[in-house]
Amino acid sequence: MLERPVHELIRELSRELVMLSETVLSNFDQALTAVRIQDLQAARRVKEMDEEINLAEVRLEERCLAFLALQQPVARDLRTIVTIIKINDDLERIGDLAVHIAERMPDLGAIIMDQYEFEKMGRVASQMVRTSIEGFVDRERHLADEVCKSDEQVDAMHRLVFRKVADAMKMDSSNTSQLLAVLSVSRYIERMADHATRIALEVIYLVTGEIVRHGEDSFEKMVQSIKN
Amino acid sequence: MQPSAEAIETKRDASSTQTTARDIYLPPERKQVSGGGETHVSAKNFSIYYGDFEAVKKVNADILSKYVTAIIGPSGCGKSTFLRAINRMNDLIPNCHTTGALMFDGEDVYGRFTDEVLLRKKIGMVFQKPNPFPKSIFDNIAYGPRLHGIRDRKTLEGIVEKSLRKAALWDEVSDRLDKNALGLSGGQQQRLCVARTLAVEPEILLLDEPTSALDPKATAKIEDLIQELRGSYTIMIVTHNMQQASRVSDYTMFFYEGVLVEHAPTAQLFTKPKDQMTEDYITGRFS
Repeated sequence: MLERPVHELIRELSRELVMLSETVLSNFDQALTAVRIQDLQAARRVKEMDEEINLAEVRLEERCLAFLALQQPVARDLRTIVTIIKINDDLERIGDLAVHIAERMPDLGAIIMDQYEFEKMGRVASQMVRTSIEGFVDRERHLADEVCKSDEQVDAMHRLVFRKVADAMKMDSSNTSQLLAVLSVSRYIERMADHATRIALEVIYLVTGEIVRHGEDSFEKMVQSIKN
Repeated sequence: MQPSAEAIETKRDASSTQTTARDIYLPPERKQVSGGGETHVSAKNFSIYYGDFEAVKKVNADILSKYVTAIIGPSGCGKSTFLRAINRMNDLIPNCHTTGALMFDGEDVYGRFTDEVLLRKKIGMVFQKPNPFPKSIFDNIAYGPRLHGIRDRKTLEGIVEKSLRKAALWDEVSDRLDKNALGLSGGQQQRLCVARTLAVEPEILLLDEPTSALDPKATAKIEDLIQELRGSYTIMIVTHNMQQASRVSDYTMFFYEGVLVEHAPTAQLFTKPKDQMTEDYITGRFS
Protein backbone atom coordinates (compact mmCIF):
# COMPACT_ATOMS: atom_id res chain seq x y z
CA MET A 1 0.00 0.00 0.00
CA LEU A 2 1.30 3.40 -0.95
CA GLU A 3 1.85 5.64 2.04
CA ARG A 4 2.01 9.38 1.53
CA PRO A 5 3.35 12.15 3.80
CA VAL A 6 -0.23 12.83 4.83
CA HIS A 7 -0.47 9.33 6.31
CA GLU A 8 2.75 9.85 8.24
CA LEU A 9 1.03 12.90 9.73
CA ILE A 10 -1.89 10.75 10.86
CA ARG A 11 0.55 8.33 12.48
CA GLU A 12 2.24 11.20 14.24
CA LEU A 13 -1.09 12.41 15.66
CA SER A 14 -1.80 8.84 16.78
CA ARG A 15 1.59 8.67 18.50
CA GLU A 16 0.87 11.89 20.36
CA LEU A 17 -2.38 10.44 21.59
CA VAL A 18 -0.61 7.32 22.85
CA MET A 19 1.99 9.48 24.63
CA LEU A 20 -0.78 11.51 26.24
CA SER A 21 -2.42 8.31 27.47
CA GLU A 22 0.85 7.24 29.11
CA THR A 23 1.21 10.58 30.86
CA VAL A 24 -2.38 10.44 32.07
CA LEU A 25 -2.01 6.91 33.44
CA SER A 26 1.26 7.66 35.19
CA ASN A 27 -0.29 10.76 36.76
CA PHE A 28 -3.20 8.64 37.96
CA ASP A 29 -0.75 6.21 39.61
CA GLN A 30 1.04 9.14 41.23
CA ALA A 31 -2.26 10.41 42.63
CA LEU A 32 -3.03 7.06 44.30
CA THR A 33 0.52 6.83 45.68
CA ALA A 34 0.36 10.40 46.99
CA VAL A 35 -2.85 9.58 48.83
CA ARG A 36 -1.37 6.39 50.31
CA ILE A 37 1.80 7.99 51.63
CA GLN A 38 0.10 11.33 52.36
CA ASP A 39 2.70 13.23 50.34
CA LEU A 40 1.60 16.83 49.83
CA GLN A 41 4.44 17.54 47.39
CA ALA A 42 3.47 14.59 45.23
CA ALA A 43 -0.17 15.71 45.24
CA ARG A 44 0.96 19.13 44.06
CA ARG A 45 2.98 17.54 41.26
CA VAL A 46 -0.13 15.64 40.17
CA LYS A 47 -1.94 18.96 39.85
CA GLU A 48 0.93 20.52 37.90
CA MET A 49 1.14 17.55 35.58
CA ASP A 50 -2.59 17.82 34.91
CA GLU A 51 -2.08 21.36 33.67
CA GLU A 52 0.43 20.02 31.18
CA ILE A 53 -2.02 17.32 30.17
CA ASN A 54 -4.64 20.00 29.54
CA LEU A 55 -2.25 21.92 27.32
CA ALA A 56 -1.30 18.78 25.41
CA GLU A 57 -4.97 17.94 24.94
CA VAL A 58 -5.75 21.36 23.46
CA ARG A 59 -2.67 21.20 21.24
CA LEU A 60 -3.61 17.78 19.88
CA GLU A 61 -7.19 18.85 19.25
CA GLU A 62 -6.01 21.92 17.37
CA ARG A 63 -3.73 19.82 15.19
CA CYS A 64 -6.57 17.41 14.42
CA LEU A 65 -8.92 20.27 13.51
CA ALA A 66 -6.29 21.77 11.24
CA PHE A 67 -5.83 18.35 9.65
CA LEU A 68 -9.57 18.05 8.99
CA ALA A 69 -9.71 21.52 7.45
CA LEU A 70 -6.59 21.22 5.33
CA GLN A 71 -6.53 17.58 4.27
CA GLN A 72 -10.24 16.76 4.16
CA PRO A 73 -9.70 13.11 4.99
CA VAL A 74 -12.27 10.44 4.14
CA ALA A 75 -12.99 6.82 5.08
CA ARG A 76 -10.45 5.26 7.47
CA ASP A 77 -8.41 8.47 7.66
CA LEU A 78 -11.49 10.47 8.64
CA ARG A 79 -12.46 7.89 11.25
CA THR A 80 -8.93 7.90 12.68
CA ILE A 81 -8.87 11.67 13.17
CA VAL A 82 -12.37 11.77 14.64
CA THR A 83 -11.43 8.92 16.98
CA ILE A 84 -8.27 10.72 18.09
CA ILE A 85 -10.32 13.84 18.91
CA LYS A 86 -12.77 11.83 20.99
CA ILE A 87 -10.20 9.71 22.83
CA ASN A 88 -8.21 12.88 23.50
CA ASP A 89 -11.24 14.29 25.29
CA ASP A 90 -11.68 11.14 27.40
CA LEU A 91 -8.01 11.16 28.39
CA GLU A 92 -8.20 14.76 29.53
CA ARG A 93 -11.18 13.92 31.75
CA ILE A 94 -9.32 10.95 33.24
CA GLY A 95 -6.55 13.43 33.98
CA ASP A 96 -9.02 15.58 35.93
CA LEU A 97 -10.16 12.54 37.92
CA ALA A 98 -6.56 11.95 39.11
CA VAL A 99 -6.49 15.50 40.44
CA HIS A 100 -9.83 15.01 42.20
CA ILE A 101 -8.45 11.92 43.91
CA ALA A 102 -5.33 13.81 45.04
CA GLU A 103 -7.55 16.57 46.41
CA ARG A 104 -9.25 14.03 48.72
CA MET A 105 -5.88 13.17 50.30
CA PRO A 106 -6.47 14.82 53.74
CA ASP A 107 -9.46 12.55 54.46
CA LEU A 108 -7.75 9.35 53.34
CA GLY A 109 -4.58 7.34 53.94
CA ALA A 110 -2.94 3.92 53.69
CA ILE A 111 -5.48 2.20 55.95
CA ILE A 112 -8.45 3.42 53.97
CA MET A 113 -6.71 2.59 50.68
CA ASP A 114 -6.28 -1.02 51.86
CA GLN A 115 -9.71 -1.27 53.43
CA TYR A 116 -11.50 -0.31 50.23
CA GLU A 117 -8.95 -1.82 47.81
CA PHE A 118 -8.68 1.39 45.83
CA GLU A 119 -5.32 0.47 44.32
CA LYS A 120 -6.70 -2.80 43.03
CA MET A 121 -9.69 -0.99 41.57
CA GLY A 122 -7.34 1.62 40.08
CA ARG A 123 -5.19 -1.10 38.51
CA VAL A 124 -8.21 -2.61 36.76
CA ALA A 125 -9.33 0.81 35.49
CA SER A 126 -5.78 1.70 34.34
CA GLN A 127 -5.49 -1.61 32.52
CA MET A 128 -8.79 -0.90 30.79
CA VAL A 129 -7.45 2.42 29.51
CA ARG A 130 -4.19 0.76 28.41
CA THR A 131 -6.01 -2.06 26.60
CA SER A 132 -8.37 0.33 24.84
CA ILE A 133 -5.41 2.40 23.64
CA GLU A 134 -3.74 -0.80 22.43
CA GLY A 135 -6.96 -1.52 20.57
CA PHE A 136 -6.64 1.91 18.96
CA VAL A 137 -3.03 1.35 17.92
CA ASP A 138 -3.58 -2.17 16.58
CA ARG A 139 -7.12 -1.50 15.35
CA GLU A 140 -8.22 -4.62 17.20
CA ARG A 141 -11.85 -4.95 17.99
CA HIS A 142 -11.41 -7.87 20.39
CA LEU A 143 -9.31 -5.65 22.69
CA ALA A 144 -12.14 -3.13 22.74
CA ASP A 145 -14.64 -5.88 23.57
CA GLU A 146 -12.38 -7.00 26.42
CA VAL A 147 -12.45 -3.49 27.90
CA CYS A 148 -16.24 -3.34 27.72
CA LYS A 149 -16.41 -6.59 29.70
CA SER A 150 -14.00 -5.33 32.38
CA ASP A 151 -16.24 -2.35 33.02
CA GLU A 152 -18.65 -4.66 34.83
CA GLN A 153 -15.86 -5.69 37.20
CA VAL A 154 -15.14 -2.09 38.21
CA ASP A 155 -18.84 -1.37 38.60
CA ALA A 156 -19.10 -4.33 40.97
CA MET A 157 -16.15 -3.04 43.01
CA HIS A 158 -17.78 0.37 43.19
CA ARG A 159 -21.05 -1.13 44.41
CA LEU A 160 -19.14 -3.03 47.10
CA VAL A 161 -17.52 0.19 48.34
CA PHE A 162 -20.95 1.82 48.34
CA ARG A 163 -22.37 -0.96 50.54
CA LYS A 164 -19.41 -0.89 52.92
CA VAL A 165 -19.77 2.88 53.31
CA ALA A 166 -23.51 2.59 53.86
CA ASP A 167 -22.89 0.03 56.62
CA ALA A 168 -20.17 2.17 58.22
CA MET A 169 -22.44 5.21 58.25
CA LYS A 170 -24.92 3.35 60.45
CA MET A 171 -22.35 3.19 63.21
CA ASP A 172 -22.29 6.04 65.78
CA SER A 173 -18.55 6.44 65.53
CA SER A 174 -18.59 6.95 61.78
CA ASN A 175 -16.41 9.68 60.31
CA THR A 176 -18.82 11.18 57.79
CA SER A 177 -16.40 13.38 55.89
CA GLN A 178 -14.01 10.46 55.50
CA LEU A 179 -16.77 8.19 54.27
CA LEU A 180 -17.87 10.81 51.76
CA ALA A 181 -14.28 11.04 50.51
CA VAL A 182 -14.21 7.25 50.17
CA LEU A 183 -17.40 7.32 48.12
CA SER A 184 -16.02 10.09 45.91
CA VAL A 185 -12.76 8.28 45.18
CA SER A 186 -14.62 5.09 44.35
CA ARG A 187 -16.85 7.08 42.04
CA TYR A 188 -13.82 8.73 40.35
CA ILE A 189 -12.21 5.38 39.61
CA GLU A 190 -15.51 4.00 38.37
CA ARG A 191 -15.81 7.00 36.05
CA MET A 192 -12.30 6.42 34.78
CA ALA A 193 -13.39 2.90 33.80
CA ASP A 194 -16.40 4.44 32.05
CA HIS A 195 -14.07 6.64 30.03
CA ALA A 196 -11.99 3.58 29.13
CA THR A 197 -15.19 1.93 27.92
CA ARG A 198 -16.02 4.98 25.84
CA ILE A 199 -12.54 4.83 24.30
CA ALA A 200 -13.16 1.15 23.51
CA LEU A 201 -16.44 2.02 21.77
CA GLU A 202 -14.61 4.70 19.79
CA VAL A 203 -12.10 2.05 18.75
CA ILE A 204 -14.98 -0.13 17.54
CA TYR A 205 -16.16 2.82 15.46
CA LEU A 206 -12.66 3.23 14.07
CA VAL A 207 -12.45 -0.44 13.10
CA THR A 208 -15.97 -1.04 11.84
CA GLY A 209 -17.43 2.37 11.04
CA GLU A 210 -20.38 1.54 13.28
CA ILE A 211 -21.35 3.80 16.16
CA VAL A 212 -22.16 1.33 18.93
CA ARG A 213 -22.87 3.68 21.82
CA HIS A 214 -26.39 3.35 23.21
CA GLY A 215 -26.58 -0.15 21.76
CA GLU A 216 -29.54 -2.47 22.12
CA ASP A 217 -28.21 -4.10 25.25
CA SER A 218 -27.46 -0.85 27.09
CA PHE A 219 -30.94 -0.80 28.67
CA GLU A 220 -30.64 -4.44 29.79
CA LYS A 221 -27.23 -3.66 31.23
CA MET A 222 -28.67 -0.76 33.21
CA VAL A 223 -31.49 -2.91 34.58
CA GLN A 224 -28.95 -5.58 35.49
CA SER A 225 -26.74 -3.10 37.32
CA ILE A 226 -29.68 -1.79 39.35
CA LYS A 227 -30.59 -5.34 40.38
CA ASN A 228 -27.08 -6.15 41.61
CA MET B 1 -0.11 -0.42 -4.39
CA GLN B 2 -1.83 -1.60 -7.54
CA PRO B 3 -4.49 -4.25 -7.07
CA SER B 4 -3.60 -7.44 -8.93
CA ALA B 5 -5.29 -8.36 -12.19
CA GLU B 6 -6.78 -11.29 -10.31
CA ALA B 7 -8.35 -9.05 -7.69
CA ILE B 8 -9.92 -6.97 -10.42
CA GLU B 9 -11.30 -10.06 -12.15
CA THR B 10 -12.83 -11.16 -8.87
CA LYS B 11 -14.47 -7.75 -8.57
CA ARG B 12 -15.77 -8.07 -12.04
CA ASP B 13 -17.43 -11.37 -11.22
CA ALA B 14 -18.83 -9.90 -8.04
CA SER B 15 -20.09 -6.80 -9.79
CA SER B 16 -22.02 -8.82 -12.32
CA THR B 17 -24.30 -9.93 -9.51
CA GLN B 18 -24.14 -6.69 -7.58
CA THR B 19 -27.36 -4.95 -6.71
CA THR B 20 -27.69 -1.21 -6.64
CA ALA B 21 -27.51 0.93 -3.57
CA ARG B 22 -31.18 1.69 -3.36
CA ASP B 23 -31.49 2.27 0.36
CA ILE B 24 -31.76 6.01 0.52
CA TYR B 25 -29.13 6.94 3.07
CA LEU B 26 -28.74 10.68 3.07
CA PRO B 27 -27.19 12.96 5.62
CA PRO B 28 -29.80 15.33 7.08
CA GLU B 29 -28.60 18.31 5.07
CA ARG B 30 -29.49 16.47 1.87
CA LYS B 31 -33.24 16.25 1.64
CA GLN B 32 -34.98 13.39 -0.10
CA VAL B 33 -36.42 14.50 -3.40
CA SER B 34 -40.09 14.07 -3.99
CA GLY B 35 -41.07 11.86 -6.88
CA GLY B 36 -37.51 10.62 -7.30
CA GLY B 37 -35.73 7.39 -6.58
CA GLU B 38 -37.10 5.39 -9.52
CA THR B 39 -34.71 3.49 -11.74
CA HIS B 40 -33.96 5.92 -14.56
CA VAL B 41 -30.98 4.32 -16.19
CA SER B 42 -30.19 0.69 -15.70
CA ALA B 43 -27.10 -1.17 -16.84
CA LYS B 44 -27.24 -4.95 -17.04
CA ASN B 45 -24.01 -6.81 -17.75
CA PHE B 46 -23.17 -3.75 -19.80
CA SER B 47 -19.74 -3.74 -21.47
CA ILE B 48 -18.20 -1.19 -23.81
CA TYR B 49 -15.42 -2.17 -26.19
CA TYR B 50 -12.97 -0.13 -28.21
CA GLY B 51 -12.13 -2.77 -30.80
CA ASP B 52 -11.09 -5.79 -28.71
CA PHE B 53 -10.38 -3.74 -25.61
CA GLU B 54 -13.11 -3.97 -23.00
CA ALA B 55 -13.09 -0.45 -21.52
CA VAL B 56 -16.16 -0.92 -19.32
CA LYS B 57 -16.68 -4.41 -17.95
CA LYS B 58 -20.07 -5.95 -17.30
CA VAL B 59 -21.48 -3.14 -15.25
CA ASN B 60 -24.68 -3.71 -13.32
CA ALA B 61 -26.16 -0.58 -11.83
CA ASP B 62 -29.39 1.31 -11.38
CA ILE B 63 -29.20 5.10 -11.54
CA LEU B 64 -32.03 6.62 -9.54
CA SER B 65 -34.09 9.46 -10.89
CA LYS B 66 -33.75 13.05 -9.68
CA TYR B 67 -30.72 12.28 -7.50
CA VAL B 68 -27.13 13.20 -8.21
CA THR B 69 -24.77 10.32 -8.97
CA ALA B 70 -21.04 10.97 -9.08
CA ILE B 71 -18.65 8.73 -10.97
CA ILE B 72 -15.09 8.62 -9.68
CA GLY B 73 -11.99 6.62 -10.48
CA PRO B 74 -8.48 7.07 -11.84
CA SER B 75 -7.81 8.18 -15.42
CA GLY B 76 -8.62 5.48 -17.91
CA CYS B 77 -10.95 3.60 -15.58
CA GLY B 78 -13.86 3.88 -17.99
CA LYS B 79 -15.91 6.46 -16.11
CA SER B 80 -16.22 8.93 -19.02
CA THR B 81 -16.77 6.08 -21.45
CA PHE B 82 -19.64 4.85 -19.30
CA LEU B 83 -21.11 8.36 -19.02
CA ARG B 84 -20.88 8.96 -22.76
CA ALA B 85 -22.51 5.62 -23.47
CA ILE B 86 -25.70 6.77 -21.79
CA ASN B 87 -26.61 9.18 -24.61
CA ARG B 88 -24.66 7.26 -27.23
CA MET B 89 -21.89 9.79 -27.69
CA ASN B 90 -19.55 6.86 -28.22
CA ASP B 91 -21.33 6.08 -31.50
CA LEU B 92 -19.02 8.65 -33.06
CA ILE B 93 -15.96 6.56 -32.16
CA PRO B 94 -15.14 3.93 -34.77
CA ASN B 95 -14.83 0.34 -33.50
CA CYS B 96 -16.73 1.18 -30.35
CA HIS B 97 -19.45 -1.34 -29.55
CA THR B 98 -21.36 -2.53 -26.54
CA THR B 99 -22.69 -5.77 -25.12
CA GLY B 100 -25.28 -6.35 -22.43
CA ALA B 101 -28.08 -3.89 -21.95
CA LEU B 102 -28.39 -0.24 -21.06
CA MET B 103 -31.95 0.78 -20.35
CA PHE B 104 -33.29 4.32 -20.14
CA ASP B 105 -36.84 4.58 -18.83
CA GLY B 106 -37.16 0.88 -19.48
CA GLU B 107 -36.13 1.12 -23.14
CA ASP B 108 -32.92 -0.20 -24.62
CA VAL B 109 -30.63 2.74 -25.43
CA TYR B 110 -28.85 0.59 -28.00
CA GLY B 111 -32.05 -0.86 -29.41
CA ARG B 112 -32.57 -0.99 -33.17
CA PHE B 113 -35.29 1.63 -33.19
CA THR B 114 -33.74 4.12 -30.82
CA ASP B 115 -33.59 7.60 -32.32
CA GLU B 116 -30.34 9.03 -30.99
CA VAL B 117 -31.30 12.63 -31.70
CA LEU B 118 -34.39 12.23 -29.54
CA LEU B 119 -32.32 10.32 -26.99
CA ARG B 120 -29.84 13.19 -26.72
CA LYS B 121 -32.72 15.64 -26.31
CA LYS B 122 -33.80 13.68 -23.25
CA ILE B 123 -30.27 13.06 -22.03
CA GLY B 124 -28.24 16.25 -22.26
CA MET B 125 -24.53 16.59 -21.78
CA VAL B 126 -22.07 19.23 -20.61
CA PHE B 127 -18.38 18.76 -21.26
CA GLN B 128 -15.11 19.48 -19.54
CA LYS B 129 -14.32 22.62 -21.51
CA PRO B 130 -17.14 25.11 -22.06
CA ASN B 131 -18.03 24.90 -25.75
CA PRO B 132 -20.52 27.62 -26.63
CA PHE B 133 -21.24 28.09 -30.32
CA PRO B 134 -19.68 31.24 -31.79
CA LYS B 135 -23.11 32.85 -31.80
CA SER B 136 -25.08 35.20 -29.59
CA ILE B 137 -26.11 34.08 -26.11
CA PHE B 138 -29.72 33.98 -27.30
CA ASP B 139 -28.94 31.84 -30.34
CA ASN B 140 -26.89 29.43 -28.26
CA ILE B 141 -29.85 28.68 -26.02
CA ALA B 142 -32.40 28.75 -28.86
CA TYR B 143 -30.30 26.39 -30.99
CA GLY B 144 -31.71 23.16 -29.60
CA PRO B 145 -35.37 24.23 -29.52
CA ARG B 146 -35.05 25.50 -33.12
CA LEU B 147 -33.52 22.18 -34.15
CA HIS B 148 -36.57 20.50 -32.69
CA GLY B 149 -38.87 22.73 -34.75
CA ILE B 150 -39.75 25.68 -32.55
CA ARG B 151 -39.81 28.86 -34.66
CA ASP B 152 -42.09 31.26 -32.77
CA ARG B 153 -40.00 34.17 -31.42
CA LYS B 154 -42.09 34.68 -28.28
CA THR B 155 -41.88 30.99 -27.38
CA LEU B 156 -38.12 31.00 -27.97
CA GLU B 157 -37.70 34.11 -25.79
CA GLY B 158 -39.61 32.36 -23.04
CA ILE B 159 -37.41 29.26 -23.31
CA VAL B 160 -34.21 31.33 -23.32
CA GLU B 161 -35.16 33.25 -20.19
CA LYS B 162 -36.37 30.14 -18.36
CA SER B 163 -33.24 28.16 -19.23
CA LEU B 164 -30.87 30.97 -18.27
CA ARG B 165 -32.72 31.44 -14.98
CA LYS B 166 -32.47 27.72 -14.21
CA ALA B 167 -28.76 27.84 -14.94
CA ALA B 168 -28.39 30.85 -12.59
CA LEU B 169 -27.07 33.01 -15.42
CA TRP B 170 -30.05 35.23 -16.28
CA ASP B 171 -29.18 38.07 -13.91
CA GLU B 172 -25.69 38.31 -15.35
CA VAL B 173 -26.57 38.28 -19.05
CA SER B 174 -30.19 39.44 -19.45
CA ASP B 175 -29.09 42.83 -20.80
CA ARG B 176 -26.78 41.42 -23.48
CA LEU B 177 -28.48 38.39 -24.98
CA ASP B 178 -27.46 39.51 -28.45
CA LYS B 179 -23.74 39.58 -27.57
CA ASN B 180 -21.43 36.79 -28.64
CA ALA B 181 -21.30 33.97 -26.07
CA LEU B 182 -17.53 33.70 -26.47
CA GLY B 183 -17.25 37.04 -24.66
CA LEU B 184 -18.45 35.46 -21.41
CA SER B 185 -16.08 34.28 -18.69
CA GLY B 186 -15.23 30.57 -18.50
CA GLY B 187 -17.63 29.98 -15.62
CA GLN B 188 -20.41 31.86 -17.38
CA GLN B 189 -19.76 29.93 -20.58
CA GLN B 190 -20.10 26.66 -18.69
CA ARG B 191 -23.39 27.76 -17.13
CA LEU B 192 -24.47 28.81 -20.63
CA CYS B 193 -23.77 25.27 -21.79
CA VAL B 194 -25.92 23.97 -18.93
CA ALA B 195 -28.67 26.41 -19.96
CA ARG B 196 -28.37 25.28 -23.58
CA THR B 197 -28.83 21.69 -22.46
CA LEU B 198 -31.82 22.60 -20.27
CA ALA B 199 -33.50 24.47 -23.15
CA VAL B 200 -34.61 21.22 -24.78
CA GLU B 201 -36.08 20.02 -21.48
CA PRO B 202 -34.00 16.91 -20.86
CA GLU B 203 -34.67 14.34 -18.14
CA ILE B 204 -31.04 13.55 -17.48
CA LEU B 205 -27.98 15.77 -17.32
CA LEU B 206 -24.60 14.18 -17.94
CA LEU B 207 -21.72 16.31 -16.71
CA ASP B 208 -18.25 15.24 -17.77
CA GLU B 209 -15.78 16.98 -15.44
CA PRO B 210 -17.77 20.21 -15.79
CA THR B 211 -15.55 22.29 -13.50
CA SER B 212 -12.05 21.08 -14.26
CA ALA B 213 -11.37 24.12 -16.43
CA LEU B 214 -12.89 26.60 -13.97
CA ASP B 215 -11.55 28.64 -11.07
CA PRO B 216 -12.81 27.95 -7.52
CA LYS B 217 -15.47 30.65 -7.62
CA ALA B 218 -16.93 29.48 -10.92
CA THR B 219 -16.66 25.91 -9.64
CA ALA B 220 -18.69 26.82 -6.56
CA LYS B 221 -21.38 28.33 -8.79
CA ILE B 222 -21.62 25.17 -10.88
CA GLU B 223 -21.78 23.06 -7.72
CA ASP B 224 -24.56 25.28 -6.35
CA LEU B 225 -26.31 24.96 -9.67
CA ILE B 226 -26.17 21.17 -9.44
CA GLN B 227 -27.88 21.42 -6.05
CA GLU B 228 -30.53 23.68 -7.59
CA LEU B 229 -31.20 21.24 -10.41
CA ARG B 230 -31.17 18.19 -8.15
CA GLY B 231 -34.75 17.05 -7.68
CA SER B 232 -35.77 18.26 -11.14
CA TYR B 233 -33.32 16.25 -13.22
CA THR B 234 -31.37 13.05 -12.85
CA ILE B 235 -27.77 14.21 -12.76
CA MET B 236 -24.64 12.17 -13.38
CA ILE B 237 -21.28 13.81 -12.93
CA VAL B 238 -17.83 12.49 -13.71
CA THR B 239 -15.23 14.20 -11.61
CA HIS B 240 -11.59 13.85 -10.65
CA ASN B 241 -12.20 16.00 -7.63
CA MET B 242 -13.26 13.70 -4.84
CA GLN B 243 -14.29 16.52 -2.54
CA GLN B 244 -16.57 17.68 -5.33
CA ALA B 245 -18.08 14.22 -5.64
CA SER B 246 -18.67 14.10 -1.90
CA ARG B 247 -20.13 17.62 -1.81
CA VAL B 248 -22.58 17.42 -4.69
CA SER B 249 -23.71 13.83 -5.01
CA ASP B 250 -26.18 11.49 -3.32
CA TYR B 251 -24.67 8.34 -4.81
CA THR B 252 -21.16 7.56 -5.91
CA MET B 253 -19.89 4.96 -8.34
CA PHE B 254 -16.23 4.01 -8.14
CA PHE B 255 -14.74 2.53 -11.31
CA TYR B 256 -11.37 0.85 -11.55
CA GLU B 257 -9.98 -0.58 -14.78
CA GLY B 258 -13.44 -0.70 -16.30
CA VAL B 259 -15.02 -2.48 -13.34
CA LEU B 260 -17.68 -0.86 -11.18
CA VAL B 261 -16.04 -1.65 -7.85
CA GLU B 262 -18.50 0.04 -5.55
CA HIS B 263 -21.76 1.91 -5.95
CA ALA B 264 -23.16 3.28 -2.73
CA PRO B 265 -24.76 6.29 -1.08
CA THR B 266 -22.09 8.98 -1.06
CA ALA B 267 -22.17 9.55 2.70
CA GLN B 268 -21.51 5.86 3.18
CA LEU B 269 -18.87 5.49 0.51
CA PHE B 270 -16.82 8.38 1.91
CA THR B 271 -17.04 7.35 5.56
CA LYS B 272 -17.08 3.56 5.49
CA PRO B 273 -16.53 2.16 2.04
CA LYS B 274 -17.22 -1.56 1.79
CA ASP B 275 -14.40 -2.29 -0.61
CA GLN B 276 -10.68 -2.07 0.18
CA MET B 277 -9.94 -0.75 -3.33
CA THR B 278 -12.39 2.11 -2.86
CA GLU B 279 -10.85 2.83 0.53
CA ASP B 280 -7.34 2.93 -0.94
CA TYR B 281 -8.39 5.13 -3.84
CA ILE B 282 -10.34 7.76 -1.93
CA THR B 283 -7.72 8.01 0.82
CA GLY B 284 -5.02 8.46 -1.81
CA ARG B 285 -3.24 5.18 -1.19
CA PHE B 286 -3.25 4.22 -4.87
CA SER B 287 -0.14 4.83 -6.86
